[in-house]
Amino acid sequence: MRDGRHASAGARPHGGNATGWGKLVGFAPYRALVSLIYASPRRQFILLAAFPAVWVLTQHLGPMIQMLYVSFTDAYPVTKGVDTQLTLDNYRRFFDEEFYRIPFYRTLAFATTFTFATLVITYPIAYFLTRIVSRRNQLLMLLLLLIPFWVGEIVRTFAIMILLGNNGAVNLLLRSIGLIERPIPFMYTGFSISVGIIYLTALYMLLPLYSALEKLPRSYAEAAADLGAGPFTRFRRITLPLTLEGIASGCILVFLISTGFYGTPVLLGGPSTTVFAETIAGFFYVAGDEWPTGAAFATIMFFTVLVVVVVFQRIMTSLRRGDAR
Amino acid sequence: MSRGARVAFSCCYWAFMVYVFVPLVLMMLMGFKDSKFIGFPIKSWTLDWYLGIFGDATILSAFGYSVAIAVLSTLISIVVGTWIALLLDGHKFFGRTAMFGLAILPALIPGIISAIAFRIYARLLGIEPGMLAIIWAHAIHNVPFVALIVMARLSTLPRSQTEAARDLGADPLVTFLRITVPWLIPAILGASIFCLLLSFDDFVRSFFLGGYQPTLPVLIFAELRSGMSPEINAIATIAVLLTAALGFWAERFTRRMNRSPGR
Repeated sequence: MRDGRHASAGARPHGGNATGWGKLVGFAPYRALVSLIYASPRRQFILLAAFPAVWVLTQHLGPMIQMLYVSFTDAYPVTKGVDTQLTLDNYRRFFDEEFYRIPFYRTLAFATTFTFATLVITYPIAYFLTRIVSRRNQLLMLLLLLIPFWVGEIVRTFAIMILLGNNGAVNLLLRSIGLIERPIPFMYTGFSISVGIIYLTALYMLLPLYSALEKLPRSYAEAAADLGAGPFTRFRRITLPLTLEGIASGCILVFLISTGFYGTPVLLGGPSTTVFAETIAGFFYVAGDEWPTGAAFATIMFFTVLVVVVVFQRIMTSLRRGDAR
Repeated sequence: MSRGARVAFSCCYWAFMVYVFVPLVLMMLMGFKDSKFIGFPIKSWTLDWYLGIFGDATILSAFGYSVAIAVLSTLISIVVGTWIALLLDGHKFFGRTAMFGLAILPALIPGIISAIAFRIYARLLGIEPGMLAIIWAHAIHNVPFVALIVMARLSTLPRSQTEAARDLGADPLVTFLRITVPWLIPAILGASIFCLLLSFDDFVRSFFLGGYQPTLPVLIFAELRSGMSPEINAIATIAVLLTAALGFWAERFTRRMNRSPGR
């Protein structure tokens, strides 16, 4: 595509073309292959579709189906010579014991809080980048902001531990300006988990908000201003409704991701902040034969999260429609 | 917009910058502390922790292991993801929506659930916990990102280009290899770096599917649980510099590519 090479495009099979492409096209097995693949649109499509179809069914859907199946069995991995019995005991265990349900509710409460907090924190930043910064600096300032988000979960969690520890930077700062005498125990609380997880998820909110705001023409708000709308009215009646789609996808992403963290709550949390991910992981580490229970708990979490997301999506869609009228 | 509002928004941005950069900077500084204990203030400085990394076989092998896993899983993700993108772009067929949903499913499942599901499925497939299992899990998890990035690029390929090639006598395969593939190269490069980073940074899947040899994030996690030392700061700092530099470059690269679809 870059230069004149393309004009020859390896086009004519018998053109005596000296390029590699020409030789390839003149090569008999190659031509047999081409006529085999492209014999009919139907065959071509089947050849194209077969592998992806098999892949997504066995590799993407397969693990989830198998997890669902295992959650209804009494023992997994299966011992030789013992028949697997189907049972509902794994699910019953969740509903019988409060010990398991508390981390579950806590996870949902945490994820909801984190999602809302991330939205409130990143919306002004997306607004700042798309409305106030000049076009030239916009991309640079966004990319600068994204740098820390390329760093892995565990490393960033560790950075938060250093920040919030009893000998951490925040406590040192507060002590040196004389606000406190003894260090505040930030670590191993809901607070430290929030700081850590919002740090990990902010990007997934920021990017959808950024692209939603970037797509929204400035002239809309200007027109509203000309018609006498104040800043708050402009935001509530123009900007907010027209970025609802970005808000929805950002919230869904952050909610999904923040329910799935395991390493961060282990490192930043304490016994009073156990999340469901830790409960699930326990069944895979403490005793091997509790895999079915772990699978059942993971299934419960998956479907709960799915229901929350679908309901949320519905609400957002109806809000958008309501505003369009 | 009033001046006050501008300043307020600007403050939000810079406060957020402090929030995302300061922890990492502090962590890097801590790696220079001449003491076994992590914590401020830093009274004397040393390079020993950084130099120590290069003599530590555990760290070096974890690093190499992570890189090898990242490269191999990326190769698989790229092939499969591109293939899926080629199918989904421009073909209308029964079940296309389902196909699309299934294709992006692994990216939407919360981390712990996907790790558990892979752990169980690996047992069914007979894959022992270890390198192969991690590569397999990372590859599946990254396929959706490749498919989405390649699809975005594919949708900007002008029909006229492939049609012109066909008119000039190129057979469909040559057209694919000489028009479509070169067009996709920037997207494939961008997606590769994205996958490399996702795999290199991944903790939860590596943790549940790993054998005795830890990947770098799993090693750091294990050390953090047993007690912190500035050596972890030094390892983490190197990981930060590597991933941030690569990520920054890739992000700039793909944004430029998307901005000017022609060239």
